[in-house]
Amino acid sequence: MLRLRHTIFCVLLPMVGSLRTATARNVDLSTVPRRNTVQLTIYNSEDLTLVRETRIVTFRKGNNPLQFSWANTLIDPTSVELRFLTSAEKLEVLDTTFPHDKPQMLYWNIGSEIDGEATVEITYFTSGITWAADYLCVADKAEKQLGFEGFVRVTNNSGEEYENAQVRLVVGTINLVEKIAQLAKLPESEVLNLRKNQLLSYREQVVKEAATAPAPAADAPATQPPAEKKIIKEGLSEYFIYTIEGTETIPNGWSKRMRSLEGQTVPFKIQYRYRPQQYGEQLVRLYLLTNDKDSKLGTSPLPDGMVRVFRDNGRNGLSFLTAQPTKYIPIGDKIELNLGPDPEVVFELIKRRAFRDDIWEQVNGANIFRRVDDGAAKVEVNATVVGWNDHEVFDQRIRNYSANPIDVEIRRTFSGHITFRSALKPVLHDFQTVELHTTADAGGKAVLIYELVSHQGRNSRQNNVTLEDAELKP
Amino acid sequence: MPSSFKTVRLPHILVALLLLLMQLPATTMARIKLITLPVRERVEIQLDNATATLVEEERIVPLVKGENQVDFSWANTQIDPETIVFRVIAPADAKNQLDVRVLSVSYPPNEAALVWSVGSSDSGSARVRISYLLGNLGKSFNYRAVASNDESTLNLSQYMRLQNFANEEFGNTGLYAGFGKEFLKPIGLNETKEMLVGRFPQVPVRKTYTCDPQEFGYIDQPQNKLRVPMHYVLKNDKADKLGAAPLPYGKVRIFIAGREKEQSTTFLGEDWGKFTPIDDEMKLYLGVAQDIVVKRIIEKNENHRVAGNLSNQEVVVKFEIENFKEQAVTLDVTEGLRFLRNEVRGDSGRDVEWELGKLTTLDAADADKSTFDRLVFHVKLPARDKQGKAEKVVRKLHLILKNEW
Repeated sequence: MLRLRHTIFCVLLPMVGSLRTATARNVDLSTVPRRNTVQLTIYNSEDLTLVRETRIVTFRKGNNPLQFSWANTLIDPTSVELRFLTSAEKLEVLDTTFPHDKPQMLYWNIGSEIDGEATVEITYFTSGITWAADYLCVADKAEKQLGFEGFVRVTNNSGEEYENAQVRLVVGTINLVEKIAQLAKLPESEVLNLRKNQLLSYREQVVKEAATAPAPAADAPATQPPAEKKIIKEGLSEYFIYTIEGTETIPNGWSKRMRSLEGQTVPFKIQYRYRPQQYGEQLVRLYLLTNDKDSKLGTSPLPDGMVRVFRDNGRNGLSFLTAQPTKYIPIGDKIELNLGPDPEVVFELIKRRAFRDDIWEQVNGANIFRRVDDGAAKVEVNATVVGWNDHEVFDQRIRNYSANPIDVEIRRTFSGHITFRSALKPVLHDFQTVELHTTADAGGKAVLIYELVSHQGRNSRQNNVTLEDAELKP
Repeated sequence: MPSSFKTVRLPHILVALLLLLMQLPATTMARIKLITLPVRERVEIQLDNATATLVEEERIVPLVKGENQVDFSWANTQIDPETIVFRVIAPADAKNQLDVRVLSVSYPPNEAALVWSVGSSDSGSARVRISYLLGNLGKSFNYRAVASNDESTLNLSQYMRLQNFANEEFGNTGLYAGFGKEFLKPIGLNETKEMLVGRFPQVPVRKTYTCDPQEFGYIDQPQNKLRVPMHYVLKNDKADKLGAAPLPYGKVRIFIAGREKEQSTTFLGEDWGKFTPIDDEMKLYLGVAQDIVVKRIIEKNENHRVAGNLSNQEVVVKFEIENFKEQAVTLDVTEGLRFLRNEVRGDSGRDVEWELGKLTTLDAADADKSTFDRLVFHVKLPARDKQGKAEKVVRKLHLILKNEW
């Protein structure tokens, strides 16, 4: 079992003269008040954890030196604060000293008007404790509903074991002007290598703790198993806080994963998308669901994390579909899971025809322009083509060999001055991106015909796409 | 690694249940442990994902009432620990309905292991399924095709090859490629296993001869003789006795049957078959057809000024074709128009705008196989005559490349 590495000492010395005088002695006697409670508030957007611990300390009237040290941990010394939860009006921090020859240590000089106990609270920032969310999704065979479970995994590489700590996880992005690990001035790698032998002893500890727990009564009827710890979610300013029920002990070097979201059966839709800037040059299949109450979610934002998606393969097993990171998903927002290309759907773009028209020449050396593609202009030897329109006619073909009809969205981005001609009822996603929607029946095909007119040279007067209705022959 | 009653080699993947001996003094627990090792009851390897292999194993885990620690560890195998999923399927004993829940998972440092904390409503056994992605256990596909002696059909066999370099062996294991039948096979350490996924008899095959200077080049450029590769073309559709699923990428070895049934088959060649969706064609290159001679000559190249620097380019490509084979064949004549323009006037970077000229003697281009700048024509060639002489078939492609500058 790990020993606490950072401690608070009551230095029991005759407080004659200054603190310097007291600490300069070679023979010290001290007592070590134990931690009473500890609370960890872990931020996942930064390597930052706020530790709030309480201890009971006995004071006597006059000056009381307190030593606080945190050897081999990642505590930011500038963040350490002490306050009194009891007898606060009779206790006062007179001064704080960071001795130059003893890094990772400070002394508080406490002025007391009482002889007796007081509860003190020490807060500080540490790094090395992180948490991350992840999600497990299992689609049913028909791909209509998704078993959706959320987890949080807390990892402790701080160099310290916080026993029986209340754990709170902050979802959101905070601003820090300096990294806590830098402030702690101890490379994390050193902390990771600390006392490995002690870390490995945790297995025995697990067994030991369980063995010493009270045994269930032999004749007890079958009841509910031990309940999972609940994770309470609440909003706070721009953040969401997950509080893990009860307390947790996560030894240094270990991580622990707990369910943050009960398994829900979430309805979802399937859409096929072609968005080359987002998904590459391929048609991909997506599961689309929403973090809202209609979808049996929506109780809290979903922190960013890895989503792993499986599907019931109908043969008493699972098929692995994808693992992908997802960004923070606010309540009400969509969750889009990209499953990659579907071998049962063929997506082809065929250029069927290319031609040019509206060709203009400029007489060399003169400000004279003539259209030359309509046969009206005479041969002018000293003239150069300075403007024209490129026409390209495309067939966008979709073949669906899957057992279900599919819904397809296509986004294509064009640069320059473009006229997009079709009878496909396209919409503009942005000034240069055309969005098309179509469906293909199970075993069916869809052919989308469109013509691109690229205005070139002096014909180019814009940098955008204009949509134009046009019936194009197959 | 925990000890076992078995004398056989311990697997690299181990599920251990730490039975918590309640009565032992706590001080002795650090050294004395009793661990049960639930064996695999069932294993399935799902190979239906293109890039990942999912292993699913079922074990019957004895549980005590309350909280249990189930330890899952692995050594020298590439299990992705982030993908491990633990699910309780059903109690092993149907009468004893346990309510079993995973309370949490702990990950020890510097170990390939994790510890599930599992709560059980009562003592009894639970059937659990552990799923994980495993590296170095992959699949590939290959095909063996025997052509009929007249090369009109193929007997096609499709094989899946499983290569187990995962440093773990599996007993009788269900294997599924995502299509075809499911297999139940033991998989040994470092073992490669090839399984017949499907057999497709009498698949019609089309034998094609193609000349395409852009793709296949010349066999004798000074004499303008084009290379004429021969392909077998299969169509992955139901009419051609395929079409149940896309054909995965893989090597195809092709043999040809002897004239008589008793005669052994002869190896014709091999090629990589590309991934072939349903209704698409798989084209397999078998070698160069030396008995079909195609001379390609650019007979005419004239620039016709339209205005200023704008012009049309008139090009005539002449093909002189001789078939020295005993059989009549069809030659696919392919002409890449961008390639052709590059030959006669250089590449402008713009698409080729073209129209066919009146001097063209080729039949109409195949609309299905042609694109806007790549034309495919079919030319029927008679067999050589009895004296061994081949008829010279001459075809012309007359093109006007329009609006060039």
